[in-house]
Amino acid sequence: MADRCPYLDYRREAGEQTFDTARPYCTAADEFVQPMRADICAGRYGLDHATDCEIYLAHADDREGETGAE
Amino acid sequence: MSYDDYLDAKPVIVTAALTGGVQGKEAHPDLPETPDEIAAAAAACENAGASILHLHARRDSGERAFSTERFQEVTEKVREATENVVIQHSTGGTGAPDALRAEPLRTDPAPEMASLDMGPLNRYDRLTSENTRATVRMLHEEMRERGIKPELEVFNDGHLNESLAIVDELDSPPYFNLIFGSGTLSVPHPRSLQTMVSHLPEGAEFNVLGFGRHQLPLTTMSIVLGGHVRVGLEDNIYYRKGELAESNAQFVERAVRIADELNRPVATPAQAREILGL
Ligand code: SF4
Repeated sequence: MADRCPYLDYRREAGEQTFDTARPYCTAADEFVQPMRADICAGRYGLDHATDCEIYLAHADDREGETGAE
Repeated sequence: MSYDDYLDAKPVIVTAALTGGVQGKEAHPDLPETPDEIAAAAAACENAGASILHLHARRDSGERAFSTERFQEVTEKVREATENVVIQHSTGGTGAPDALRAEPLRTDPAPEMASLDMGPLNRYDRLTSENTRATVRMLHEEMRERGIKPELEVFNDGHLNESLAIVDELDSPPYFNLIFGSGTLSVPHPRSLQTMVSHLPEGAEFNVLGFGRHQLPLTTMSIVLGGHVRVGLEDNIYYRKGELAESNAQFVERAVRIADELNRPVATPAQAREILGL
């Protein structure tokens, strides 16, 4: 099983949205994650944020630009 | 399955797709996710005129669930809350292993119907629901063993080819779900629907699923072409532009009103079973 994405959090509320149960929240996109994408975030079924999530990859690119890291 | 069926006022089957596997309460606060919520939506849709319920299961967090146990919980609650509706389990599962995809078929009792995705389609930028022929064959085989009628999910023209190739293996009548939307789906346009229908074999039955704003026009056209309709929050969360739907049942009520205006009676669950040979 792949690692869980470092941007994944489980939250019951964000902005104006509140829920009875904590749900997957992406701290890179600052929004709750769709259930289908959440399996990537959680690293289930061999899915991997580092290869399968364009949000992760775009955010990683941004961070590279900021820090000059390779 | 033709314009003659429309003229003959053949009953139209309304399927309600209550939950789905793609989006959840983050997109629509009243999209049913828990077994109790799904059961309540199921009862409301049956009362509104749906004769088939297309079911998915979720974890408590709203994430996708494929296990037999979770589907058992959902289906039991739905059966308790409804009278006589036809239960259809999804076997869709982008990114999920084949072994899990078969689990929704193993509830007790088995669902009368299940969806069978007929080929690959893309999701987001980097995911593909592969649905290889081997996967389709494996799921179809298990459906046959358990007496479950497949609804062939035709996401595009290529999937229609794949479906026509196995039509001799299907109990009569074969049931095609013609799906229209963006990306790797069939181009959402009345011309595409007419073309797809023209390729269906004699005696087949078909259902139409249009995503988002294509749900209303293409399902309406299906009624005129002698087909059946699928509506619900799985496929579309907006009742009209900029206005979230109140519920799954609101979509069923609209489909029933339109069928009525077009002089096609809405099928009871018993009629749906007869039409589909269940
Ligand atoms: S959406 Fe992408 S970036 Fe956000 S938590 Fe999930 S895998 Fe990570």
